[in-house]
Amino acid sequence: MALSAAQAGEARQKKDIRDRWLLSAPALLLILVAGVGPLLIVVLYSFLAPGSYGDVKWEFSSQGWFNVFFARDIFDDTVSLADAHFSIFWRSIKLALGTTVLCAIFGFPTAYFIATRPPHNRSVWLFLITIPFWTNMLIRTFAIQELIRTEGIINSVLLKLGVISAPVQMLYTDFAILLGMTYVHLPLMVLPLYASLEKLDFRLIEAAYDLYASRFNVLMKVIVPLVKPGLIAGSILVFIPALSSYVIPRVLGGGKNLMIGNLIELQFGQGRNWPLGAALSVTLVIIVLFAMLYYVRNAGKAGGSSHG
Amino acid sequence: MRAISKSFGTFLAVDNVTLDIRPNEFFTLLGPSGCGKTTLLRMIAGFELPTEGQVLLDDRDISSLLPNQRPVNTVFQNYALFPHLTVAENIGFGLKMLGKPKADIAAVVARMLKLVHLDGRGDNPVTQLSGGQQQRVALARALAPQPKVLLLDEPLSALDLKLRKSMQIELKRLQAETGITFVFVTHDQEEALTMSDRIAVMSQGQVRQVGSAREIYDRPADRFVADFIGETNFLEGTLAGSEGSMASVRLKAGGIIRAGLPEGGAPKADLTVVVRPEHAELAAAGSGTFDGTLGEVIYFGTDTHFHVRLDDGGTFIVRRQNTRSGAAAPETGARVGVRLGEGAAQILKD
Repeated sequence: MALSAAQAGEARQKKDIRDRWLLSAPALLLILVAGVGPLLIVVLYSFLAPGSYGDVKWEFSSQGWFNVFFARDIFDDTVSLADAHFSIFWRSIKLALGTTVLCAIFGFPTAYFIATRPPHNRSVWLFLITIPFWTNMLIRTFAIQELIRTEGIINSVLLKLGVISAPVQMLYTDFAILLGMTYVHLPLMVLPLYASLEKLDFRLIEAAYDLYASRFNVLMKVIVPLVKPGLIAGSILVFIPALSSYVIPRVLGGGKNLMIGNLIELQFGQGRNWPLGAALSVTLVIIVLFAMLYYVRNAGKAGGSSHG
Repeated sequence: MRAISKSFGTFLAVDNVTLDIRPNEFFTLLGPSGCGKTTLLRMIAGFELPTEGQVLLDDRDISSLLPNQRPVNTVFQNYALFPHLTVAENIGFGLKMLGKPKADIAAVVARMLKLVHLDGRGDNPVTQLSGGQQQRVALARALAPQPKVLLLDEPLSALDLKLRKSMQIELKRLQAETGITFVFVTHDQEEALTMSDRIAVMSQGQVRQVGSAREIYDRPADRFVADFIGETNFLEGTLAGSEGSMASVRLKAGGIIRAGLPEGGAPKADLTVVVRPEHAELAAAGSGTFDGTLGEVIYFGTDTHFHVRLDDGGTFIVRRQNTRSGAAAPETGARVGVRLGEGAAQILKD
């Protein structure tokens, strides 16, 4: 009897394990097919030689990776660092960081406002936050273009009012890219921030005021440290897609102000250098990986011991 | 506090309250939930602004000052400790916000840790402390900036009975040691009676009586106070005559007793007197102040309650301390007398 009970228990355990695998199979399959697989192919392509009309030749080559970091002069074959690539990487990182900071600055008051509404009103405000997602991003980006271009609505109104005498160049600048990226990514910052703020015990704010904290100190010493998890989550959600933006810098930045996404697209399209494009893509993944490691570790440290 | 009122919409939470809290005293606001005691406290702290009236501190009007401008600190009901800071950082928070030098803060924090018996726990995260320890951190945090007045909003209500008893003694000791005025809010009458120098009993936004624990217990001003604090027998009667602070009252249940007159004013002809159950004793039928039939006898360990059915229909409770010898108790249904000691009865104002 005891033996059969043990056997039955073992059988049930086996079935449990099998069921778990079965239940997670669809998700695992999706990750494998749509995530890991393509990434491996990209890594593989980065070590192949370019074909003449795009595509790749199935022979090993380190040219793709070489070209990420170095440029060979087409006339005298001298090798120099690929300054153009570095500056585009650096530009992209700066713009993505700027977007993250702007999203935090605009997102925090928004999230705070929603979190301090009466509970039954909050879902309405959250609903409003998602409105921009209803329309395709490309269309929204063109709408921004319409607003800020030289003959656009803002310039026309300002000219009419006599505030300015000549149209201000806003489109095809970094300002335009930052504006577009902040607008598109803002909800990604607001939602996690709201989730943190909603859990915030507002009696702590009273306690801080009671203990002589100024408004600024209440914000910096109490609210911000307590919503840090939301701030970190929001920053990650904004920074990563902002770094690899493609549509916004293309439409609002014009052809000249490239970001990494545009550079990669160029290699797969007009450049016909798939291995270089693949190597650039892997580089982007590595940058994101290190940025995240650095950020999460430092954010954790600052949260753990906030002396001084 | 002078003629202070606070209304939320049409609801009058605090109704024209004037209270004079003396320096260095342990003052308690006592009342059932919703009586306005917490609102009153929050107006002293500055979290609520009075709709009318003034809050004065040392003759200075602080009604319009923000909470962070008042030399008043609060111990919150749920402690409201900062979860992201250590014990020491919590205690030092107020001083840091006041811009005190680091060395001074460290010295005060060390002193506070000792005061609340948490030496060596300064670097612990507050989230790792037990309820009683968190309570003491909250106390130390509010005491550290040396406020003129310390406000305590039902700080013991989350603790279990044993811990609450020891914290009561602890609070009393801290108040004596620091010499800071404590304003304590509670709905627990026992807490109020054991700790306070003076108590204000509140009901429906109004202060019903202010006085020492003994005054409020022995000479309740009105029916609410008498009923809210301790157990009380109410006896109806008519005024038979008065001299000085005492009066003779003819009870409906029979007999004439001498009872204390309420402060300020002669009572109406029809009046109510209150008698605490422990101020009466059972006697042989006919030998007491009035007679009745013994109903339930309830044993409480330290004492026994005798419910006496009076001839006018009321019930009178007599409490008798249990002793080892245990005097023989009469049987249920027996005719008994109830004897009231001198000064046991007090006439109510209304």
